Formats: sequence, C-alpha cells, structure tokens
Amino acid sequence: MSRRLKISIFRHNPRDPRSVPRLVDYELDERPGMTLFIALNAIRDTQAPDLNFDFVCRAGVCGACAMVIDGRPGLACRTLTSTLPAAFSLYPLPVFRLVADLSVDTGSWMRELAERLQTWVHLDAEPDLDRLEARMEPALAEAVYELDRCIECGCCIAACATAQMREGFVGAVGLVKIARFRLDSADTRDDADFYELVGNDEGIFGCMSLLACNDLCPKELPLQTQLAWLRRKMAGQGVRWLRRG
Amino acid sequence: MTLPRPCAASAASPWPARLDLLQSLSGLALALFMWLHMGFVSAILISADFAWAVARFFEGYFFLPRPQAWLVTAFVASIALLFALHALLALRRFPADWRQYRIAARHGSRLRHGDTMLWFVQVATGFAMFFLAPVHLYAMFMHPDLIGPYESADRVWTGGFWPLYLALLFAVEVHGSVGLYRLAVKWGWFEGRDARTTRRRLKLAMWGLIAFLLTLGLTTLLAEIRMGIEHAPRAGERYVPTWQRSPTAVEEAR
Amino acid sequence: MRIEYTDVLVVGGGLAGLRTAVGAARRRLRVEVLSLVPAKRSHSVAAQGGMQASLGNAFKGMGDNEDVHFGDTVRGSDWGCDQLVARMFAHMAPKAVRELAAWGVPWNRVQRGAHEVVINGERVTLTERDEAHGLITARDFGGTRKWRTCYTADGTGHTMLYALGDRAVAEGIPVRDRSEAVALIHDGGRCQGAVVRDLETGELYAILAAATVIATGGFGRIWGISTNAIINEGMGAAIALETGVARLGNMEAVQFHPTAIVPAGILVTEGCRGDGGLLRDVDGHRFMPDYEPEKAELASRDVVSRRMAEHMRRGKGVKSAAGEHLWLDIAVLGAAHIDHKLREVKDICRHFLGIDPARDWIPVRPTQHYSMGGIRTDHRGESPALRGLFAVGEAACWDLHGFNRLGGNSLAETVVAGMLVGEHVADFVESHAGALQFSPGLARDFVGRERAALEAITARPAPAPGADNVASLRRGMEATMTEHVGLFRNEAGLRTAVATLVDLHARAQRVGIASRHLDANPELVAAYRLPRMLALALCAAQGALERRESRGAHAREDYPARNDRDWLRRTLAWWPVGAATPVLEYEPIRVESMELPPGFRGYGTRNIVEHPATALREAELESIRARLEGAGGAPLQAALLDFRARLPERYRGDNERIADIEEGAPR
Repeated sequence: MSRRLKISIFRHNPRDPRSVPRLVDYELDERPGMTLFIALNAIRDTQAPDLNFDFVCRAGVCGACAMVIDGRPGLACRTLTSTLPAAFSLYPLPVFRLVADLSVDTGSWMRELAERLQTWVHLDAEPDLDRLEARMEPALAEAVYELDRCIECGCCIAACATAQMREGFVGAVGLVKIARFRLDSADTRDDADFYELVGNDEGIFGCMSLLACNDLCPKELPLQTQLAWLRRKMAGQGVRWLRRG
Repeated sequence: MTLPRPCAASAASPWPARLDLLQSLSGLALALFMWLHMGFVSAILISADFAWAVARFFEGYFFLPRPQAWLVTAFVASIALLFALHALLALRRFPADWRQYRIAARHGSRLRHGDTMLWFVQVATGFAMFFLAPVHLYAMFMHPDLIGPYESADRVWTGGFWPLYLALLFAVEVHGSVGLYRLAVKWGWFEGRDARTTRRRLKLAMWGLIAFLLTLGLTTLLAEIRMGIEHAPRAGERYVPTWQRSPTAVEEAR
Repeated sequence: MRIEYTDVLVVGGGLAGLRTAVGAARRRLRVEVLSLVPAKRSHSVAAQGGMQASLGNAFKGMGDNEDVHFGDTVRGSDWGCDQLVARMFAHMAPKAVRELAAWGVPWNRVQRGAHEVVINGERVTLTERDEAHGLITARDFGGTRKWRTCYTADGTGHTMLYALGDRAVAEGIPVRDRSEAVALIHDGGRCQGAVVRDLETGELYAILAAATVIATGGFGRIWGISTNAIINEGMGAAIALETGVARLGNMEAVQFHPTAIVPAGILVTEGCRGDGGLLRDVDGHRFMPDYEPEKAELASRDVVSRRMAEHMRRGKGVKSAAGEHLWLDIAVLGAAHIDHKLREVKDICRHFLGIDPARDWIPVRPTQHYSMGGIRTDHRGESPALRGLFAVGEAACWDLHGFNRLGGNSLAETVVAGMLVGEHVADFVESHAGALQFSPGLARDFVGRERAALEAITARPAPAPGADNVASLRRGMEATMTEHVGLFRNEAGLRTAVATLVDLHARAQRVGIASRHLDANPELVAAYRLPRMLALALCAAQGALERRESRGAHAREDYPARNDRDWLRRTLAWWPVGAATPVLEYEPIRVESMELPPGFRGYGTRNIVEHPATALREAELESIRARLEGAGGAPLQAALLDFRARLPERYRGDNERIADIEEGAPR
C-alpha cells in the first residue's frame, strides 16, 4: 500500500529581506525504495524549482547531504522514506551558516577547523619519492584508516548539545581528527603539541560525553572510544605539564 | 622548505585538564560517598541499635576515650566543600543564558537521544541539589549529635524534613548513578574490545543501580517516617541502645 | 565589477585539481582553487578500489615494474593512448603513492606470512615475504598482469582526497567552494582566466590568471544513469568548448563500469572482483570464464561490460522491477574480508539495497562510469590550441587512457598528472610565454556577456504546464544518451541521437524558468548548464557516429573490428562560435613512435584491421633492442621512447623496490 508523504521542509533565503524562515508542506506519493534524494528531487522537479539542498555523491560517502531528518541529523541520500513516518520534517543542520533552505555552509566551517587544529601530517622532512616508503605496521595502518573515514558531514556537530550552545567547540569531527594524527606514526607531533590544539574547553575538555555524535555518526566511527582515549591522554598531559624548551 | 609547526606562542594552560579531572574526581568521590551514606542510613532497616552504633561510630565512640561530635562536623564540612567544588565545576557546563537554554531545550526535545536526555536529567537534578543539599548539610553540620534512630526519625517527621529528603533522595541517586555511568563512558573505563556492548551494559547497570538505590532509599525513608510518627509524642528524646538501658530507665519509660 | 588577479587559477577541487594546486603553490605562485562543493566532497572521494603503482611489494606483485604497468595501460587503452604519457605515468605512479603515504594516506600494508585469498573462485594461501612487511600492499584489478592496485580498504579515493585536502590547507591554498567557472576569458589564442559565478550570492566576477587549469572531472551526468556524482556535468570541458578554440579529445570514448547496483547506479568497486568476487547469471552460473577463459571477471572493464550485456541479450539476465541485471557474488570472500576490505560496499548494499553482501548477491549491471575524453592537452597538460589553458585528470584528454581506462589508473592519473602539470604550469607562468598583460577590458566583456546570458534566461516566460522545462529537456537528453550512445552503438541509433540532441540543444536555449532570482537558485543553474551539457552530448554522439570502428569502450555493432588502418587517430571536437553542431577533426596516433605497436590485447574479441606501419615499427624496435643489448635499461629506453627527458627534473629518478635492494643494484 503506497503512502502519501507529507514533508514539511524548512524554507528560507537569508539574503532576501522579504524571506521569513518557515515550514512549507509538500506532498508526494511514496514509491518503493524511495530515498530522500529521490523525494527531494521529485519535489524540486515538480513543485519547488528553487528549493535548495545539497547532494553530491548520492551514495553516502561525500557527506554533502546531511540534514535534520525528522528531528535527527543524518545523510538524506541514503535515508529511505520507508523508515520515516508519513509526515515528517526536514531542517538544515544547525550550527553551520545557512545558505538557503536545506543547504548549509559546512565547507568554511571545516576549513576553519582544519586550520585551527592543523589537521595534516606534520613532517620533519620532505619524503624522498624515489626511495622505499616508510614502513608501517599493517594493524596501525588499519587503525588509522578507521579514524580517517570521517566524511565531515557535520552530523556530529548537529547532534552535539555542546556544539550548539557554545560557538567554537570543535566537536567530534575535530577531536577524532586529532586522535587520528596522534595515532599516525608518520606525524611528528607529541602530546604537548596536541594539547595546545585541543587541551581546552573548546576542545576535548568541553566535551560532555553525551555521545549523540557516536550514536548518529553515519560512518559509525568509534567516537566514544576515541574521545575517551583523547581525554585520558590530554588529561595526562595537563597533569604532567612538562613543556618542551 | 620549512613545514608548519604548531604555534608555540599559544596560550595553552594545564587548567582545563585539571578542572576536568577535578570535576570527575569530585563527582566520583561524592557518588561513592553517597553509596556509603545509603549504607549508613539504611542501617535503621536492620535495627535501631545498629543504626545508633553506626552513628556513634563516626564520633569515635568505639575507639576514642569519649565521643567527639566535631569529627562528624568536620566530615560534613569536607563533604560540603567537595559538593561546592563539584557544583562550581559542573556549573561550567550549564546553559549560561536564555539563548543557550532555549537551544539546548529544543535540541534535546527534537533529537530523541537517550544520553542527551540523561544530561538534562543531570542538569535538573544538579540544579535541585543546589538548594536541597545545603539544608541537609547545614543541619548535619550544626547538630552532628542529632544523628540517631529517634533523632533522625524526629527530624524526618516532626521536623518536617521528609519532603526535602524525598526530593533529595531522587535527585542524589539519579544524579549519582547517571554520573557514574557518564564517568565510565567519558574516560573509557571498562571499555573492553566492544565499546558499544560495554556501553549498553553500563547503561543497564546504571538503571539497575538507580532502581536499587531508590528502593533502598524509599524503604529507609518510609521506616524513618513510621518511626517518626510513632515517636512524635516523645519527639526530642534521645535514643539509648537497648544494652545500655538500666532496669530503672526501662521502668521509667513505662 | 570585481576583477581579481592570480598566477594560477585551478577550476575543480578534486584530487587532480588539488595536487596541481599544491605543486604550483610550492613553486611560490599564487593559486586560487574554485570548486562547486567543499573540496573534500569532490567526486574523487567516491573512488573505492585503489590506485595502480608498480611497487611490487605484495607477493602477487613481485616482478612488477614500470614496463609491465606501461604495457597493461596501453593494452587496456586498445592502443588509443599516448604512449609517451603512459610511460611518464607508469614511472610517476610509485612516487605518487609514496608521496601520499608521507602525507597521511594509511595505505594497507603487507603483513608477513601466510594469508588466504580467493583467486578464480578458489581459496589459495599466499605467503608474504618478511622483507616486504609493513610496505604498501596491493590487490588485483582488471586488465593487469600483476597485483598492482594500492588501496585503503575500499575508501581509497576518500583517504587520498582527505590527505590532499589537508595538504592544501597546510600549504595555505585558498579554496572557494560553491563557485563555478562559467566562461573562460580568452582572446582567441591565450586563456586569461575565468568568469566566476558565486553559486550562493549569484555574483559574477572575473579572476584573471596567467594559467588556468581545468580539473572538473567527467561528464557522466549527461547519461540518465551514471555512477558519477551529481556534480559531474562536465562544465569544465563545456566552457573550454565554448571558447571556439580549445579542442575536446575522444569524447565518444566513454567507459561503462560492469558493477553498478540496480537501480540506483551506485558503483561497487572493481576490487570486489579483484579480491575474488564472481559474476553470476539468472541461473547462478558463473559465466565470465565461458567468454574470457584467461581473465574471466578480471578482463578490462570494456570487455567485461560487453560480455555482461551479451549474456543478458541471450536471456540470462535477472528480470526485476528495476530492470534487468546480473549478480555480483562477494559472499564467496567471507564476512571477515568484507568487513575489513569492502566495508563501503557493505554500507552501500545495506542502505540502498537492504542486503548483506556477506550472504546475498548484489544486483549489478554495466553503467556509465568514466570519460576517457576531455579537453585535449599535450603531455604537459596544456591545450595545444589555447595557450595558458591547462587541463588535468578526468576533465583532460591527456591521453593516458585511450579508449578504455584500466581500473585503478584514474586515481593514479589524478595525482600523477597533478604532480606533473603543477610543475609545467609553474614553468609556464615563470617563463616568457607565460608572462601575461592582463586585460581588464576583456574580463569586463566576458563578465558582461555571461550576465546578459543569465538575464536572458530569467527574462524568458516561465514554462507553461506541459511545455518544455529544464527538467523535461534534461530527461530527453539522458534518455537519448542512454538509448543510443551506450555500451553498444550503431549508425541508425547514433544518427537519431545526433538529430535529437541538436533539437534539444536548440530548445534548451529557449527554455524559461519559474524562479527568477539570481542567488541560490538551482533552477537557474540547471537552465544555464543544460545547453552546455547538450553540447558535450553532441560531441560524444557525433564522435561516436563518425568513428566507424570498435576500439576499447567504443563498440560499434556495425563496425566490430578495431580498424588501426583507418582509425588509429584521436577525435578532436571543437565548436565554432554560433554553430549548431561541433566540428570534428582528427589527430593521428603514430605507430612510428610507439614503444608498443598495436596487437591483440590478450582479452576481448580478436578482430583487428592492421595498420601498415605496425610490422615496420616492430622490426625497427627489434633492431634497436638487438643493437643496444647489454647497454643497460636507460639507453635502451631512451632509444625506444625517451620519456625521461620530458619529465620535470625532480621526478626523473629511478623508483626503488625491495628487489633492487636484495640484488644490491646500484642506486
């Protein structure tokens, strides 16, 4: 039995002085296997040609289409409408700057985060590309990959009460990146360096361990264990507080 | 070429780490103390004599030449300080203004996420304890000697403390148990190989603990109330353990 | 009106664009990167299986080197590639992998000792060498003679793009996302930058640049069903075409990937088959060995896709509500392997199909996947027709892939080409030729022209119900391409396609839109992109119509032979300003300069019309080899095909392998 879906979509164009943030209802017939990618495109094709939303890979790997679906952040492209009630709402991710409707600017936010947290491998010297690569334990490489799988979709930020209340909190996305580089044997930074980046209330000590990030991460990253691990390491550093010269 | 290094001139401070640790440690200490506390007060369920012995024990009755009530005062003072410290540190996490409060409330109601709801419970119970706990602590601080089967029961009933204690019981046990659960996930205790399963079990343990402590606490409070009602006519009378009662005293009591 | 100036303008923030940008920035040039989306969301991120580089660390990669990789690539291309480029590429790939390793790509590593793998449907135990422990390992891919594809599980594109994205941040390279280059600014001979549209505010402005690099990826979205991301609409190639100067090469060379899921068209990696996965038909029968006894599922993609289509035409497909398909069976690999090495595939199956690939077979069919064609460049990445315009990666026809790309060679190409083109761009900008007298007047003209075009669109009446609208015209294009410019092609179908596309192209230039504001307006974006997509579609369809042979992925039912005699040449399409259709020219691919003259690929159908020069060149090569026997590898290579001298100096060194160390070869 096919359902008639009623999707209440947040509409607003912040650049248009006449635009007021509002919910607009769109109705359409549900089809088997319908994802929000299909549903939103159908709405755009037939009912709301200037409805803004972001899809890129539409395969759950690029992170562009994160939005608040029936109250919870998730990737729209791989959300089947059959998992939702017949009437539900779509909101843009909070915290990030609104572009229009369901589209938010995660790009600038993530770029700023990368600059602030220096999320790249820090090397002492450029590698000699003609020589054999540095060896790495296979298990370590897999462990680093596990943390490298973050797609910067922003769901952890939208799910996080701290990130919503306190501007500047780096969230799970930032913290897991630090955990990732700390694990990477190629990175020359030590705990004192990492403490400078996240040893504060905008970093690991601002985290209240509500774990919505962990529970709603579309890539199922082990955020719970990584945040705990980072907290232990950084707390240890804070207690030792032995600075290099 | 030179590769970028972390900026050495940053204003990193060890204090965020230390404050975070202190918050956790003070919370842990208070939660564990509350387990002991529950053990002490529920002594009344075994017998009035036992409850009396427990209370006197802390005054040094059994190992000092004479009981020293100030020992309890000092202990209460240190708990109060710990409480104040924990409250102060936890206050950093409270919504700071109306905007934050509104954001948090809307977020929590939309998200339908267990652990986030638990945090609201923490905030609410913590907030309640700001007001409830000092009353109790002050009473204990000023009258450490008024801890005992009749004394406590009189305070609960005749003294009108039972509504306070009822509220405090819920606030303390829920806050403490949830706090312990959150400490475990926050610091990764008992994580094991499969953190998801562990967390599910910890959550179960938390609910179990809450149920147990509330049951025990309510039973104890009920016993106190019953004793308080019975003893109301002779409110203010100090309890004398049965083995110290002289025949005359027993006689007089009749 | 805003005019900005920079040394290098890179259009596209995927792997190729970012690596080019990093290369130019390290030469201390000012670099600006434009991207439709945040750089890390570029389609590179979706590449799963891996990147080819002949490291020779894994047991099944032993004995691999640049020569083998070169040979595989040329055969894969069906001799359509530029062998100079293929040589450079094979030489550079190990360097690229090693650079990325240093920059943080957590490549899977060799684990010493025995491990079990599935080869040709059977469980086999391989023993990895002690001395290879901890070095970068590789998996098997189609059309290769060695296990050469380096990988991080099945998220290789992701880890590479994140490492490069982070590197770009480390180098302080600005990336403007939600920015689209809508026209190239040029004077007919020299490219001077681009007109940029801010997709959020709608602002139009100019960036004048000494060198402009197009790195916008492929144009798969002109087909209705494609593995490509939504953004792969080929706008980089389209604006190059609109100059009326730059040429697009081999636009008819389009790859169909054997295993996209049905119906969503989402790719599941070739690594599935590389790791031992099997293709099965409606009866559960493994049919590929019947067609390709030697390589079976691991023939090149064009061959496997055609065999699958052939098999379905014989009635062996699985009929479903979503259309006909075959099965990909990776359950044979076991749950543990899938959980570790194919987890994205598992995720995709779970979310889009509701199945567990450790237990269920995956419904797949060949689906549009890759554009071998693109902006024609020389081996330095520069357009021979429009100076100062460079192209790199899938957007370019550099021509590494000829008429069929090997799996794992596209990721490798992005970074290798980026490393090389980054240097060449920098050389160009620093050279006399690169010196540019910026001309703001020209910039104003071009911006004005784009503004007028947008205003014309918004001035048209809104589409009446039932009349043409952007979505309906687009569906027409998609259907035409899918039906007539697909896996198999023929004269009648292609003629229909060209006629239909010409009509759609004209109608697309008249279509109106309902919402007329300029900022954040997806309908407007679709309206101005549609004619450009149709122009690319016409280049592909017309190129396919004219190419009356079958080569690589271009399969003509009416001309089944690979005709080296008449068609060993590259299609060049260009679009005279104001014309209704593109003009095709041809550029010879010279047998006389080939290191590997045309022959049988070793898989697929053997049906070749020989080129008269082939035998001569073979004899010539033989005599060179005889003459230089014992002279060592370098002089011989220089005589066969001297690629090294044409590489940037910093990249000319030999690649070290563990075999060299064991043999104590001089370094």
